[in-house]
Amino acid sequence: MKLFKKIFTIISLLTLITVSGCGWPGLGDSSKDTIKVASLSTTESMIMSEIIMQLISHETHYKTSLVNNLGSGQLIHEALMRGDADIAAENFTGNELITTLNHPAIKDRKKANRVVTKLYKKRFDETWFPTYGFSNTYNMLVTQKTAKKYHLNTISDMKKIASKINIGADNIWINRPDDGYPAFAQAYGFEFKRVYPMQIGLVYSAVAAGKMQAVLGYSTDGRIKSYNLKILPDDKKFFPPYDVSMVVNNNILREHPELKPLLHRLDGKISLSQMQSMNYAVDNNLKEPTEVAHQFLVKNNYFRGDK
Amino acid sequence: MADQPLWNQLIFYFTHNGLYILEQFGRHFLISFYGVLLAAIVGIPLGIYIANHYRLGDFIISIANVIQTIPSLAMLSIVMLVLGLGANTVIVTIFLYSILPILKNTYTGMKNVDPNVIDSAKGMGMTGLQLLYMVKLPLAMSVIMSGIRTAMVVAIGNTAIGAFVGAGGLGDLIIRGTNATDGAPLILAGALPTALMAVITDLVIGSLQKYFEPNNLHKK
Repeated sequence: MKLFKKIFTIISLLTLITVSGCGWPGLGDSSKDTIKVASLSTTESMIMSEIIMQLISHETHYKTSLVNNLGSGQLIHEALMRGDADIAAENFTGNELITTLNHPAIKDRKKANRVVTKLYKKRFDETWFPTYGFSNTYNMLVTQKTAKKYHLNTISDMKKIASKINIGADNIWINRPDDGYPAFAQAYGFEFKRVYPMQIGLVYSAVAAGKMQAVLGYSTDGRIKSYNLKILPDDKKFFPPYDVSMVVNNNILREHPELKPLLHRLDGKISLSQMQSMNYAVDNNLKEPTEVAHQFLVKNNYFRGDK
Repeated sequence: MADQPLWNQLIFYFTHNGLYILEQFGRHFLISFYGVLLAAIVGIPLGIYIANHYRLGDFIISIANVIQTIPSLAMLSIVMLVLGLGANTVIVTIFLYSILPILKNTYTGMKNVDPNVIDSAKGMGMTGLQLLYMVKLPLAMSVIMSGIRTAMVVAIGNTAIGAFVGAGGLGDLIIRGTNATDGAPLILAGALPTALMAVITDLVIGSLQKYFEPNNLHKK
């Protein structure tokens, strides 16, 4: 009957380990030296999270963990406020201004950046980092064939065919106050036959397959490249800037001062085409965001110290 | 990549991201395991206790029954309100789901011990603790194990949903597959290892259960 005593000792030991607050061995979420990065459920956000996590775990002795698949910017903001996460990998000036900060849209890029930086510091005690260098704006996308057929070069050119075509757009965009569909229709002076609310991941294949004549997609998506879609320039400068930045809780920066210069290494370093090709590698070439992020960091010489 | 047959894509994915899948596999297993472990730590002693207190037993088991009826996504959201995002939320959800099978099997196992055996043990002068350790538990062990087995297999399935609250695990792959343009290989790369894990765990605990069967113990 020694076996049962052994089993009971093991079980009680395991209870002790877990109750004593060392966290769950192997999961590493609750340890104090773990930096938690929150990611949206988009490919791009996961790549950026991985870049940040690998940079931190390679250059410092901190552990990192990923809080993945969060549905919206607001959820991420909540996670940061509650302390479920320390770093939000992707934040968009245009989006966070309207949703999280409940502020009217600002069309000027520099001013928008200044305002979010100031308000995030004042209201939430969080640092809004300078942008990574790319911007994930809404883009009107059509196939090359459609563009040729109707001679479309800018969004304004759509006016003559607008009443006959259906477009697909992100479901949050359609009812947004300042930069949504109603404001769009007013600024450009035309309305489409019908605007279908869609899951953003589906719009690219919908337009490529001809189910929609035009769609509103994100500029950094790799599928623009893989489907060879044409971007119609926003000639009336309607869409506000959506520069992508990371947001970091100031607590973590105060506790670990060496993080700040490390994270600033990413300022302005990633171009739109670099981001597109990273997204493409994940979405189209079946690479994991982890792998793509690692390749990016190695190739661009981000791993400097050996701890 | 997208123009190749699904099977080739899947093989390509496994060869290029093997390490990542292994990592998520481990994480997925640990989350399920911790949840079930917690439930075993709470459920087994509780089951032993209520086996001797009939009225309390019915009450506690009906509570566990009610918990079991809550859909897993709803349960996850409710727990999330309290614990926030991350693996802890999933572990607690798994814990709540595992309580019933473990508790009920412990209860049944303890009650099904032949009263004659207990009487003769008492006749030999065993104390209450000796009776529990040397007679009741060994005889009930295989039934308790089958409860843990059920709990573990269900837990592995539920952990996949945990990806929605940012816990990671193989569910991450499945969700990413549903968002990607051509996500079939991603979905399979997440779902196949999950199913495999459930089958392997079932077999391993099944053989443990056999090992604990009273007849086998006797031979040893």
